[in-house]
Amino acid sequence: MKKILSILICFFILNSSFRINTTIDTNAKIKSVFIYNFTKYIEWPQAYKEGNFIIGFIGESSLYSELLKMAETKKVGNQTLDVIRFQNSTTISKCHVIYVCKDKSDELSTVLKKVKSNSTLVITEENGLADKGSGINFIIKENKQKFELNKGNVEKYKLKVSSNLESLAFTVK
Amino acid sequence: MAKRNYILTALFLISGMGFGQFIGKDGVSKALFYLQKNELDSSKKYIDEAILDTSTSELPKTWYYRVLIYKDLYKANEKDNFDSPLRQNAADALNKLSQLDLTNEFTESSQKMMVYLASTFYNDAARSLNPNSYNKAIERYNKYKQLMTLAKSGGDLIQQDVKFYLALASMLNQNLEQTNKKDSTKLNEVKNVYESVLKIDPNNGSANYSLGIIYYNESADIINNLDYDMDLEQLNKYQDICTELFLKALPYMNKCYELKYNLKETLLGLNNIYHGLNDTEKEELYKNELKALELQNK
Repeated sequence: MKKILSILICFFILNSSFRINTTIDTNAKIKSVFIYNFTKYIEWPQAYKEGNFIIGFIGESSLYSELLKMAETKKVGNQTLDVIRFQNSTTISKCHVIYVCKDKSDELSTVLKKVKSNSTLVITEENGLADKGSGINFIIKENKQKFELNKGNVEKYKLKVSSNLESLAFTVK
Repeated sequence: MAKRNYILTALFLISGMGFGQFIGKDGVSKALFYLQKNELDSSKKYIDEAILDTSTSELPKTWYYRVLIYKDLYKANEKDNFDSPLRQNAADALNKLSQLDLTNEFTESSQKMMVYLASTFYNDAARSLNPNSYNKAIERYNKYKQLMTLAKSGGDLIQQDVKFYLALASMLNQNLEQTNKKDSTKLNEVKNVYESVLKIDPNNGSANYSLGIIYYNESADIINNLDYDMDLEQLNKYQDICTELFLKALPYMNKCYELKYNLKETLLGLNNIYHGLNDTEKEELYKNELKALELQNK
């Protein structure tokens, strides 16, 4: 019987090796799929269709690494994807998209000033920011990622929004 | 073995059977004669006849000797045969003996043989715990249980069930991880085995933890494999599926937390599940508790 117990114990050791999959940030991956889709549903002016397609990023989030991963394999049209992290809102330079993480939400007004003469899609992730200048704002509804679209805030940067994107948004303002 | 031969000799002499008196006696006596001489094949021949003879077929001693003979034959010839017919015959004979032995004449000895045969089934069940023969393992384990129940040995069969099914689920899960994680039939099989453990022992930490991890990882794997090109309608459908899986993982992981089972891993699990559910408040709560635990353990 002892021999068998040792065999069973071996199985328990194997059992204890079960680990949670921590190799992926589930929320970051879902957001990156959203962001890639936004680039397909929004049209940038002709002058922005040359060179690299730049996604600017400010704040601390594993979404940055996920976007870098995405950039390794994906293009926007014929444009190579480039993800640039800015130290803070004052250092932001010309980009197609600027993603403002939650921890930098209070810098949104500075971000808006920095991009006002550009055609930049501003994406945020804090409740209420769609009313404060953000074009697309991620929100949580029933434990899921959704987005609010403020069409006016997108179009004032000379970007065209597809009607399909409007239909997919949780709210359109 | 010496003690047993002594008993057999005594029985043989008491029954008044000299070698010369042997002819004309019933099959049981002949079987006993050859058993005493350790001529097991001849002994088997006569005991097989005896169970077909109406004058001996309902005698407890017929079945008792049949157990002895078949058990010895099993030990001599089929010990490495997991499907040994000789052992099965011995087990069946023990079952019949327990029905006929109303005066408990053979109870003590037969109980020992039940426990012995049961242990051989148990060993073989454990040795069969592999992806190719686990159904056989279950079959053998059930035979072990039948014999142990018959022996009324008082062992904790419920705990044995828990151990066996945990080992089975663990083996199946390991195999799934190494082969094809997406095989939903096999994955459901693993879940069902863990669920069967929880039916017996709802507070089993290992089964709760494993189910929590399985549901979480199932969801994480789906998300990990999402194509960036996936359209948003499809993404929303996947979010529904994944949220449901995170919610399924939650009660199991909460139970582990309540039991303080594998606390560090459990806190990590809860942190990740709430992250997947976009519940930042609870995610932070468990993240902080995990940090505190790690500091404490430094």
